[in-house]
Amino acid sequence: MAVTEPSTQRSVVARSFQAGLNAGGSAARSLLSFAFILALWAGVGAAQMVPEAIFPAPWSVLSAGIELAQNGTLAKDLSVSLSRAAIGFAIGASLGIVVGLLTGRIAVVRMLIGPFLNLLRPIPAIALVPVAIVWFGIGEGSKYFVISYTVFLAVWFNTHAGMEYVPDIYLRAARSLGVSRLREFMSVIVPAAAPYIFAGLRLGVALAFLSLVAAELSGASSGIGYRLQEARQYIRTDRMFALLIILGLLGAGVDLIVHRIGQKLVHWQQG
Amino acid sequence: METKQGHVHVDNVEIRFQGRDGPVTALAPTTLELAPQTFTALIGPSGCGKSTLMNAIGGFVTPSSGRITLDGAVIDKPSEQVGVIFQQYALFPWFSALDNVRFGLKRFGLSKREEVDRARAALDEVGLSAHADKFPQALSGGMKQRVAIARTFAFGPKVLLMDEPFGALDAQTRLVMHDLLMRVWQKHKATVLFVTHDVDEALLLADDVHVMSSAPGRLIRHYALAQPRPRALNRAGSDLLDIREDILGLLRPADATAL
Repeated sequence: MAVTEPSTQRSVVARSFQAGLNAGGSAARSLLSFAFILALWAGVGAAQMVPEAIFPAPWSVLSAGIELAQNGTLAKDLSVSLSRAAIGFAIGASLGIVVGLLTGRIAVVRMLIGPFLNLLRPIPAIALVPVAIVWFGIGEGSKYFVISYTVFLAVWFNTHAGMEYVPDIYLRAARSLGVSRLREFMSVIVPAAAPYIFAGLRLGVALAFLSLVAAELSGASSGIGYRLQEARQYIRTDRMFALLIILGLLGAGVDLIVHRIGQKLVHWQQG
Repeated sequence: METKQGHVHVDNVEIRFQGRDGPVTALAPTTLELAPQTFTALIGPSGCGKSTLMNAIGGFVTPSSGRITLDGAVIDKPSEQVGVIFQQYALFPWFSALDNVRFGLKRFGLSKREEVDRARAALDEVGLSAHADKFPQALSGGMKQRVAIARTFAFGPKVLLMDEPFGALDAQTRLVMHDLLMRVWQKHKATVLFVTHDVDEALLLADDVHVMSSAPGRLIRHYALAQPRPRALNRAGSDLLDIREDILGLLRPADATAL
């Protein structure tokens, strides 16, 4: 009823206008922050207070980036790294969701593996690299393993929590409507847990990028992480900076995409 | 039509919970009959066990002793025979109003078209056909409860449990909902058990009013109301007003002595 009232409608319009302003405002604030840091950095570079080899100026970083792009290594590294992250993420996320659905709803499974998985969570991805190399060699297998392992734990944990906190009233409503267990699971429990699952996936994406670099720092012959390592050997800090900035932008971009997809799919979740 | 259905017998049912300081009797041994297709109101102070009794009839709580039957069959778990309307609406926010109603129709295995048609008809009955594609978040409290009513009546339960269904609504909306509920109920004729803490609401709607008292929860008074509907509480000389005084008197002392 209230929605069709003109006064409410006006306030809805006013509110979304406000939200637009805020969103615009926050974008403007981000830009301001970047511009400020860039200016500071340019100032330090121009004053030549620090040797270029230690702390390169923005223009050196830019030309290093252009060089990487032009000689073709950047495109190759990006495609190698992104496919590693994507495959590792896909394996880890799907396993995480499946296991989370099981531990969240089936008491025996929860009892048998829940505590063990919780024990694994504090182990950082980089600590697994030696094990991964022994198990899978220095090929792609060990990269997939390290990435998917990290993603798996994050997605599992969030899915599990979401499954545990399905509001009781939804289950009661479903049961009193006489739906089958399977439908209750698919149409009630999974959607009710979906906001948690998406939070887990978003975290998983961030972790995939973090563990990607960890995996590539030891034993790889291409990829952004490898290129960073290589730049260290030649003390090419300008390249390192360029690669780090690309990593940052890439991670933020993918995070934004996942966030947007989540908002679309879990549209009932406010905020 | 077949023989009347929806006959509920609560036979000497006692419900105890394991509290922090030992067992707590939520409901002292209680016997109650809900005649088919009647409207019964349960009224009492909070914590008097009215929700517990309702949950037991819904199959959500198992009696410690005694038994509850529906048309002769023991109720021991939730089933589609007993519909529930919750105060918090319990609509699924990931489904539109229409899909919420369709969800309750799934067990019939209808064709998609038939399912949609029936769901639309049910929403039409509660005056919401224009809002069928909206999601619950976009609806007001009264509209949400109308969707819930449509959802529950559409799948045709024999018994309908309503746990303070209008408790979260403002007085104006509540009156509208009373009319609507009466209209829909008289059409579908389920056996209704309606929990409320609002005496007027009970008197306006019910065939039978049971007053409960707390510690332990038990039924203390029964009024059979034969007054024709729609009822009003403002006509002079109406015996409903006397009953109202009576019930308020029954509910008052506990509060007065507590202070």
